[in-house]
Amino acid sequence: MLGEFEYLLLTAAARLGEDAYGAAIRQEIEDVTGRRCSIGALYTTLDRLEAKTFIKTRMGSPTPQRGGRPKRMVRVTAQGIRAARDFYAAVTRVSRGVSWEAL
Amino acid sequence: MTRICWWLVDRLSRLLEPDEREAVRGDLAESGETGGQALRGVLGLVVRRQAALWKHWRPWLALIGVVIPVGMLLTIASRATANGSAIYIWLYANNWDWSFLENAGFRHDLAHFSAGVCMSYVTLMCWSWTSGFVLGSLSRGAIPVNGALFYLVLLLAELPGAPRYIGHSPLLYRTGDVDVHSVVFALAFYRVMFPLIVQAVLVLLPSLWGMRQGLRLVTFRPLLQTTLWIAALATLAAIAIPSHVWWRFNHLYLPLVAWDGWQARLLRLVVYWPIAYMAAQWGGPIAFQEKNT
Repeated sequence: MLGEFEYLLLTAAARLGEDAYGAAIRQEIEDVTGRRCSIGALYTTLDRLEAKTFIKTRMGSPTPQRGGRPKRMVRVTAQGIRAARDFYAAVTRVSRGVSWEAL
Repeated sequence: MTRICWWLVDRLSRLLEPDEREAVRGDLAESGETGGQALRGVLGLVVRRQAALWKHWRPWLALIGVVIPVGMLLTIASRATANGSAIYIWLYANNWDWSFLENAGFRHDLAHFSAGVCMSYVTLMCWSWTSGFVLGSLSRGAIPVNGALFYLVLLLAELPGAPRYIGHSPLLYRTGDVDVHSVVFALAFYRVMFPLIVQAVLVLLPSLWGMRQGLRLVTFRPLLQTTLWIAALATLAAIAIPSHVWWRFNHLYLPLVAWDGWQARLLRLVVYWPIAYMAAQWGGPIAFQEKNT
């Protein structure tokens, strides 16, 4: 089972596709949630997801706008897609019949 | 302020793995964060990485088995060495006359005491180097925390004065009762400054060097690793056994391992293994080639 932040990260990486890497994922999460995403949380979660085989990462090529430093590229694996789908389905099921606006 | 923050970011990020360091520094450059934000981010990541390392047993063993007990014992040994040599340094420095050198007895005594003091310095350096070596090889990635704690123990144990009553080593020069030599220790230099200089030069620097070498141990071949571990553990035992606590234990329960036995004589020799290690490193024999070469 995924955690909330793990799900956010997987979803952001899946949406970014080929352009998924540290800074872009972080920006995506901040834009969607409106909350600040720390580098520490991002990179330790990436490691955790990779250990669970939900993502695969590799070092990309260096770019000038990054001061000649490489990106850590992220790709969501089939297991990652399945885990995110299960998480989403569980959240949808548990939310059925509950209207947060009415409470 | 921003410059200082970025300098700190650079320093802190060196604690990360090379690939991660490059990716993080690149992310920070791309997102245009301020120095303060970057520092907070990198600090958070380093803290998380260090915390993760403490889930393993190695850093804990290094903390409990080396940092606290060996740190205390080294302080005692350092203080004993400093006090022991201070008396002879004071004696010769304050009464020096070149004409004494014409006297054969004086020359003999000078050579004898100089050799004794030098040997005690070398012994202390080897102990400190070995302590750092064991600490580095056990702690690995957690060395920044364990290394800092080790130096904190050395500092804290030195400032109020380590419990001298357990410091009793046949390998080091001893003062016996310091009060007997109150003329020497009435001088602030010999009482305060000299022990600190001895600790800095003969304990801090060699142990730092040993830590760096200890971090490389994992890259050596298994047989060499085992040999070095045996030598290092024997050296640590040589620090601990001469203390009164162990001396009593030996006499009560292990009479065969008394300090004057052949085992002890062997231990006294093994203590100097860092010299052989360093000589072999600089000589570059085949045995020291790393696994991936």
